[in-house]
Amino acid sequence: MESTLVRIRDLAKAFGEGETRVEAVRGLDLELERGEIVLVMGPSGSGKTTFLSMLGGLLRVSAGEIWIDGTNIAALGERELPPFRARTFGFIFQDFNLVAALSARENVEVALNIAGERGHPARERARSLLESMGLTGRLGFPVEKLSGGEKQRVAIARAIANRPVLILADEPTANLDSHHGAETMRLLRELAKEEGATVVIVSHDERLREVADRVLWLEDGRFKTLQALVRDPVCGMLIDPDAAPASLDRDGERLSFCSRGCRDEFLAR
Amino acid sequence: MSVPLARRQLLFRKGRSLAGVAGIAAALLLVLALNAIFAGINDRLTAYIDRSGADVIVAQRGVDTMHMTQSALPEQAAAAIASLPGVAEAKPILYVPAMIEGGEERGIAYLIGDDSGGAPLPIASGRRPRAGEIVLERTLAERLAVGTGSSVRAFGQDFRVSGEVDGLASILNSVALVRRQDLARLLGSVGVVSYIFVRAQPEIGAGELAARIQASVPGVTASTRAAFASSERRVVGDMTTDIVRAMILVGFVIGVAVAGLVAYSVTLSQIRDYAVLRALGLRVRSALALAVAQVGATVAAGFLLALALVWLLAGLLPRLTPTLVLAIRAADVALALVVAGAVALAAAAFPVVRVARVDPASVFRR
Repeated sequence: MESTLVRIRDLAKAFGEGETRVEAVRGLDLELERGEIVLVMGPSGSGKTTFLSMLGGLLRVSAGEIWIDGTNIAALGERELPPFRARTFGFIFQDFNLVAALSARENVEVALNIAGERGHPARERARSLLESMGLTGRLGFPVEKLSGGEKQRVAIARAIANRPVLILADEPTANLDSHHGAETMRLLRELAKEEGATVVIVSHDERLREVADRVLWLEDGRFKTLQALVRDPVCGMLIDPDAAPASLDRDGERLSFCSRGCRDEFLAR
Repeated sequence: MSVPLARRQLLFRKGRSLAGVAGIAAALLLVLALNAIFAGINDRLTAYIDRSGADVIVAQRGVDTMHMTQSALPEQAAAAIASLPGVAEAKPILYVPAMIEGGEERGIAYLIGDDSGGAPLPIASGRRPRAGEIVLERTLAERLAVGTGSSVRAFGQDFRVSGEVDGLASILNSVALVRRQDLARLLGSVGVVSYIFVRAQPEIGAGELAARIQASVPGVTASTRAAFASSERRVVGDMTTDIVRAMILVGFVIGVAVAGLVAYSVTLSQIRDYAVLRALGLRVRSALALAVAQVGATVAAGFLLALALVWLLAGLLPRLTPTLVLAIRAADVALALVVAGAVALAAAAFPVVRVARVDPASVFRR
């Protein structure tokens, strides 16, 4: 089995046409190894969600290729994509996105049903996954009655139910307190190592650096080298010094800011 | 799917689902109840004819109904018919719609005069009328607040109530029985009868006898009892068809409006779920089936509730209003089912369009 799971070549996505055309992602090249955890960071509007949506087969690419385990999903038809998604990807969302009408077990089971596994085997798989995540007493609970941490564990169980090769997590710790955030990070780490799944996390959460094998910085629709980025001394945001909206020379050192507001605040101190 | 997703989603917001079912049931009940009421009227409309014991009914030429009709035959026609082979009995009757008054109350009835005092109709209480007496249909007697021994008036003439018959009244008409001579005197129509009720000998069929009478006696129309009753029902049917059609249309429009509104709000509240399920790999057609199943189940539940309610009404209403009889016919249930199907199809249009346009990538939007 090839160690590289994902190959992305010259990936681009543009929205609108003419004067309203916006290039959300352009010229992305990337390779992801099996079992690797990659954290994608970047400012709001940098194209992270667009990238994640294309990688998950939810959004059509404007140009380029996305090869996953030997299949170019950019070339798959509308009929082929849904079953490919069900078999290949696990999704974890910031808002959990559990189906409120279903119990914890049914939320996991429904993902198995969609992938073609039904009846007793699906129920058993859902039960054992939730039990392994410490939710033994919550199997029949309506998800609305679960805590945020419990909801995220149900969402993770749903994401791995079909043994996906690629797990895509969008801000998985954003709605969790530090305890549950750390627990989610530990779970993601274990998943990658035990199940051999590649995990791509899109997040602003610096704590996730601890579990990531690699951190990518996406800005203006392109990956940038982290080493070339500097930190805004006011808000702490990482920014490209060559494209910083505001800068300041002080004591022979050049300071870069994410906005003029941050620079003004710095000067007012 | 082994997870009953459509059922779970329907039952998740029970109040809204029940309101939808109730609204659709109300609309379908309108269709079912109205048809049942008219069917009940039809059944009672010909109750007197059906129970008259006649095989053939002879009327003036061109007449084959009693409701909103007049027929006049020479009394001798009865004797002419009685002499025909195959005739067991030819009973002349006089008939006129009349206002019967009892104290302060009044009621319309088919006033029927014959020589037997209404035989073979069974008398529910009292006895058959003699000269100067009248038998009232029970609901008419109740409305007039009279009983056996009481006095009522018809065409300005007093009659003593001698008894009651049962099961001949509808909300459109009732029946009162008197002696033919009394009615003839009242109407000033001596020597004239309205209809001749003919009983056939056992060896001859009603159709054959009707044809024989038609051919042998000039100036008459002879109909079998079934054909005569059918014509009678058709007269009222023609009068009510437009009302029934209008009510079916109203029921359909209300049903579509309620079901559409329910489907609209339910689908909007579930759009996020549809996007998540699509992202997880649910095919578009499966998502559409899920949406349509919910609309279908709501309409089906509404139909069953409407059916249960109309059955309940059919049992309760006659106890409260004896003349209002509901007859539930298979054809009317089938019609309501067709209306329900049309409601479901129309109401499913919105969810189908909306769910088909769900963008699975929207799961990443906050």
